[in-house]
Amino acid sequence: MSFKILTVSIQNEQDVVLARQRARELAALLGLERGDQTRLATAVSEIARNAYQYGGGGKAEFSLEGGAAPQLFLIRISDAGAGIANLEEVLAGRRRSGNGLGLGISGARRLVDQFEIRSSRSGTAVVLKKMLPPGSPLLRPERLMAMADELIRGRPADPYQEIQQQNQELLAALDELRQRQEELALLNSELEDTNRGVVALYAELDEKADHLRRADEIKSRFLSNMSHEFRTPLNSITALTGLLLGRSDGDLTPEQEKQVSLIRKGAQDLTELVNDLLDLAKVEAGKIVIRPAEFEVANLFGALRGMLRPLLINENLKLIFEEPQGIPPVYSDEGKVSQILRNFISNALKYTERGEVRVAAAFDAEKQVVTFRVSDTGIGIAREDQERIFQEFSQLDHPIQKKVKGTGLGLPLSRRLAELLGGSLRVESRPGVGSTFHAAIPVLYQPVEPMTPAAAVTLDESRLPVLVVEDNPETAFIYEKFLKGSPFQMLPVRTVREAHSVMKAVRPSAIVLDILLPGEDAWVFLAELKSDPNTSWIPVLVVTGVDDRRKVMALGADAYCIKPVERRWLVDQLTVFTNPDRRRILIVDDDEASRYLLRRALPGRLVIEAGGGREGLRLAVERQPQVIFLDLKLPDLSGFEVLEKLKEDPQTRDIPVIVVTSRVLEPQESRRLAAFAEAILSKQDLSPEAVSHALATPRREEGSQEAEGEQHD
Amino acid sequence: MERIPILKMGEFLLVTIQVDMHDRLALALQDDLTQRIVDTSARGVLIDISALDVVDSFIGRTLGNIAAMSRILDAETVVVGMRPAVAITLVELGLPLHGVRTALDVEKGMGLLRKAVAGRRPGDGYRAQ
Repeated sequence: MSFKILTVSIQNEQDVVLARQRARELAALLGLERGDQTRLATAVSEIARNAYQYGGGGKAEFSLEGGAAPQLFLIRISDAGAGIANLEEVLAGRRRSGNGLGLGISGARRLVDQFEIRSSRSGTAVVLKKMLPPGSPLLRPERLMAMADELIRGRPADPYQEIQQQNQELLAALDELRQRQEELALLNSELEDTNRGVVALYAELDEKADHLRRADEIKSRFLSNMSHEFRTPLNSITALTGLLLGRSDGDLTPEQEKQVSLIRKGAQDLTELVNDLLDLAKVEAGKIVIRPAEFEVANLFGALRGMLRPLLINENLKLIFEEPQGIPPVYSDEGKVSQILRNFISNALKYTERGEVRVAAAFDAEKQVVTFRVSDTGIGIAREDQERIFQEFSQLDHPIQKKVKGTGLGLPLSRRLAELLGGSLRVESRPGVGSTFHAAIPVLYQPVEPMTPAAAVTLDESRLPVLVVEDNPETAFIYEKFLKGSPFQMLPVRTVREAHSVMKAVRPSAIVLDILLPGEDAWVFLAELKSDPNTSWIPVLVVTGVDDRRKVMALGADAYCIKPVERRWLVDQLTVFTNPDRRRILIVDDDEASRYLLRRALPGRLVIEAGGGREGLRLAVERQPQVIFLDLKLPDLSGFEVLEKLKEDPQTRDIPVIVVTSRVLEPQESRRLAAFAEAILSKQDLSPEAVSHALATPRREEGSQEAEGEQHD
Repeated sequence: MERIPILKMGEFLLVTIQVDMHDRLALALQDDLTQRIVDTSARGVLIDISALDVVDSFIGRTLGNIAAMSRILDAETVVVGMRPAVAITLVELGLPLHGVRTALDVEKGMGLLRKAVAGRRPGDGYRAQ
């Protein structure tokens, strides 16, 4: 029976010293006399040195053997070296050299009571035993444990040893530090590799994002084009059934009227869907124009109440508009805000079977935001679906959902519109309890791009824009008075430079030009206007103090007047030069329905029609119409080709062309058309007003035509 | 690396070993000491081992080597303060330290050195002139 006291690992020279010190200290604690302490320590020193030097390191285990006196102090020193080849010789002391080399094992053997050695190729183990002196007390394991503790905790006695120990600790710490540093360097290079990978990934991501952007753009364009393709026949159906129902071609039987009404209803529903799609595509393509104006929330609510009452067919459901209080006038796009609220309300009405739909508005003075709120007591929306409803074409799975129809486009469109107005939407909802939709709209709409002077003037759709270039504010004021209440809207500018910038945004129907402008050359401006085929058709009225009628007329001015000008002269001249009457008109369109609608929109005029491009070209030469209405999609030649041929031929070059299209045009298409065509007319609205407006205001920008297309609802 | 301090006292060098030396430290002492003998032209070396509990074969051999080398460098070596238990163990170990002069304490050791040096002065031993 033996009790292990402690073990010393032998990995370096210092450990050899430690082993022999422990041996001596333990021997003292166990009661061995001083001579034996030294003998034992010396023996351990010899064997431990061998274990370190020849065995490559090992360990020394100290234990006490025996349960009764006399107990044996037992030290076992082992290593995992290659073993001792000539053990016999060594033990016999025959290998002893002159100055004591090689006497370690044989010497140690003499210093202890019992000595055992076992050596093989896988290591050497030496056991040294020393008997405790007779009469020494029996040592129990607890006492041995305490001894070991005492030794291990014992601090080195003298300062030198202390320093030595600290030195060693320092060396160990330095070594550790070096290892850390190496690890760090390794880590660093690993990080560098990772970094390179990240950079590569980043580039890849960039590329992917670019692809996505392009795909998105293509999607928007596709959506917009497709929508227009759908719209053309739908518009025809709506317009034609309108004519039928208006009895313009004779009476209908009640049954026929019912059928035609159903056809009309179907076409309108389909148009609505297409319009939603188109709106979305337009927002995405950035083509929606914001028209800010000041309006009162109370008035908006009034209009909404009137508009939405017809939707309220369920008597278990109430639609309540709370009286708005303390809300300042809002400067934003009323039409867009109304569209968002209509959407909220019609959704709320759709998904609420009983209870109420409440509409309210609140003003946050700090953020300068009006928050509109539409709450219902309907089916509600689960939390996980609350973001999804703002995605295109998503609808939730619910029994009530199957009963009501919808495109799933309303909320996404509303969100985009709110964002365009600088606001945001959010929803709070609990399934089965109800939902509340919030739309926060800034009180003051801040356009993203700075406005041009011309855009600052709100264009009046019902009047013809007349650009007045006049530096004298009094004269400009007089002109404004003159034109007030006339069919002409004045766009006042003070310099030629301003005139140029306005003309980039708006095609005026006529220009009133003062020749004497400070620091400007109005002559050059006039000559440019008249030599540029894009602007040569614009009538220019020169009103000036310079008496040089010949020069003015030679440069191409259409009328000339020496100041002061009279109201009657100005209005008369403008009327004459912008009068669209007495024009023979050629319609080139393969779609019979479109031709028919256009013809009906031009009552009392001489209309000639062509079903294809070649026929149209022939008629243009033969009949010399004053204006040509040209469809861009023709069976034989494209509209662009027809247009180019018309403009190449000197016989037809000067005939204004109004392009009729059902598509949203690409910018480059618009530019191409703008070079030749006088105006672009949307097939969506071929009403007499729109057509005569196009005739009266040739060369209007596509943007303002498009703007009309947004007013559907 | 740690070193055993070597003090110069007149023409003698004094080494007091206070720590339990490991083998490399013993070898370093051997190198340092021979170098100092040459540097200082010391005539005698006194090594005090009174603090040592254990002198094993390696340290004993090193002491013997130091004595032999010093003698070749014309310096006498005296080892003083050896504990009785150490002496017994050395003998039992089979390492009687032949060729190393010993004395019981530093005072006797110094006396021994002075005598040895004085006795050798006329002849000057191995030192090359």
